[in-house]
Amino acid sequence: MTFLEISNISKTFGNVAAVNDVSLDIAQGEFVTFLGPSGSGKSTTLYMIAGFFEPSGGDVRLGGRSILAEPSNKRNIGMVFQRYTLFPHLSVAENVAFPLRVRRRSAAEIGRKVEEMLALVRLEGFADRMPAQLSGGQQQRVALARALAYDPPLLLMDEPLSALDKKLREEIQDEIRRIHRQTGVTILYVTHDQEEALSLSDRIALFNHGRIEQLGKGRELYEAPRTRFVADFVGHSNFLDCTITRSEGESADIVLPDGGMLSGISLHGAAVAGARAGLMIRPDRLRLSPLGQAAEPGIDAVLSDATFIGETYHFVLATGWGASVNVRMPASRVRPDEVTMGAHMQLHWEATDARLFCH
Amino acid sequence: MTVTDVPLANPSPATARRRGRGIVPVIPALAVVVLVFVIPVLALLLRSVLEPEPGLQNYAAFFGSTTYLKVLGNTFLVAGTVTLATVLLGFPVAWFLAIAPSFWSRLLFAIIILSMWTNLLARTYAWMVLLQRTGIINRTLMDLGLISEPLPLINNLAGVTIGMTYIMLPFMILPLHATIRAIDPAVFQAAALCGASRWQAFTRVMLPLAASGIAAGALMVFVMSLGYFITPALLGGTSNMMLAELIAQLVQSLLDWGLAGAAALVLLVVTLAIYLVQLRFFGFGQARS
Repeated sequence: MTFLEISNISKTFGNVAAVNDVSLDIAQGEFVTFLGPSGSGKSTTLYMIAGFFEPSGGDVRLGGRSILAEPSNKRNIGMVFQRYTLFPHLSVAENVAFPLRVRRRSAAEIGRKVEEMLALVRLEGFADRMPAQLSGGQQQRVALARALAYDPPLLLMDEPLSALDKKLREEIQDEIRRIHRQTGVTILYVTHDQEEALSLSDRIALFNHGRIEQLGKGRELYEAPRTRFVADFVGHSNFLDCTITRSEGESADIVLPDGGMLSGISLHGAAVAGARAGLMIRPDRLRLSPLGQAAEPGIDAVLSDATFIGETYHFVLATGWGASVNVRMPASRVRPDEVTMGAHMQLHWEATDARLFCH
Repeated sequence: MTVTDVPLANPSPATARRRGRGIVPVIPALAVVVLVFVIPVLALLLRSVLEPEPGLQNYAAFFGSTTYLKVLGNTFLVAGTVTLATVLLGFPVAWFLAIAPSFWSRLLFAIIILSMWTNLLARTYAWMVLLQRTGIINRTLMDLGLISEPLPLINNLAGVTIGMTYIMLPFMILPLHATIRAIDPAVFQAAALCGASRWQAFTRVMLPLAASGIAAGALMVFVMSLGYFITPALLGGTSNMMLAELIAQLVQSLLDWGLAGAAALVLLVVTLAIYLVQLRFFGFGQARS
């Protein structure tokens, strides 16, 4: 059942459309991430839900009721900001108590709730510290406790981890996942980090130029990107320029710049013979074989770089026409004698792993 | 996860070195301070207890006279009113300066600074023109039919208060602006989403965060107002003096250096007391995070 309903929402600044006709339905308890590059409209959309921006058009409904007429302080929405934004003059406990105090809750209830929230974010014993005495990660957890103290049905998170270092980010990601499970709160999360989005979300809305480019589970975006932008933004991709020679429904035959022909590749969007396209293959779906040993058709390429990064090998190969192709293979499947610079190899892949995107 | 305590700041080696070198490098500075600041104050103190004869009779005379006490009361009344007025007028200006687009905040800043650079006497005489019975303020109010007779806006404490509020306003705005500008505007968005109304956000977040700036500005304005001379002398009346005027009269007309010294020391003690109270509540590093 739809809990948060964003319908045809837009925001223009001057004559620039920051958000352009975005619609999205979110179920209660869902964790949805707005992913996208900076300036793609993801934060603007979040701010309209928070009430910091007034939409130029469209509606936002929470539990079936439009919230656009209400000011931020009446929306009963929780929010965690990028730079923590704790109240610097209040202790940790008073920061968490703030939303309850402005709601004029009883002292007993405030005391109980603050204790409960500090336990939820594992900061028991920090109640009397001032924000300036805490690390960034601790401050962000206080912000989380403050945002959840009044049991808001919806929690907004605006790049909450971007100010933290990598190790701390992963740690707080785990905390956020646990808190989401424990409280069942509906979360709208904004990030430009695709790994963060993949690891946290039930669904991802990938924003580009003020629109949602694709909406779906992380795996869907990764495995079945609908546009070249999605393929490029979520995960790593190789794009090889090619020309379509024949297309039929969602399948096409192509010719590569060196004259190599490939047939029956899955195609997105309509294309006519002669159209230029990009052949997309994920680096981890490519395989390497010494020349002449592969049974299936592929592309000949020369190994130009190999990097060992622990669990995987990262290879760079140059095709006959000068394009470079990235390949990632589990280190366990690479024999040391295969890694010879300048060796001629054959790149090949499962037919289902390649996709065509028209220019 | 593990939780580590925030390390306490250790004194840096440079600080320790400076501390260890003793008094010698301080002597030139100390000499200037003693010569210029300590000796005159001591001389004043001595004259107030030695002239015309040793004893506390100057202080007894000061506190025993209703006239002098009234002057002291006037001084506090005017300084207090001016401080309050500059807080009320200065806060919105400082706030606007902190959040306005840079063109407007720079323009406003330039105007404020320019007025501070303009000669004090000229500005006070300008107020005399504005405030007199036939001045523009009284004329406008009468033309509008709001009053039937000119308001007594000059040669009394009202005139002094108006003029001094104007003179002191920049001294409130500047420290207040510095404090308000340092506040992350996102905390007000956070307060709003936490459910705080505009008024609650103002009283529970804005005011406490601006408190150190208000205190700094108020201390500056109050203390400067206590000892101010020119504006009270020009805009005030002979019947309602302020302390600085009294001191001038005691020295120039009555040649009573002892009583003048006592009055000056009363002012100094009051100022010090206020400063200590302010230090206690807004001491270094306490109000700021």
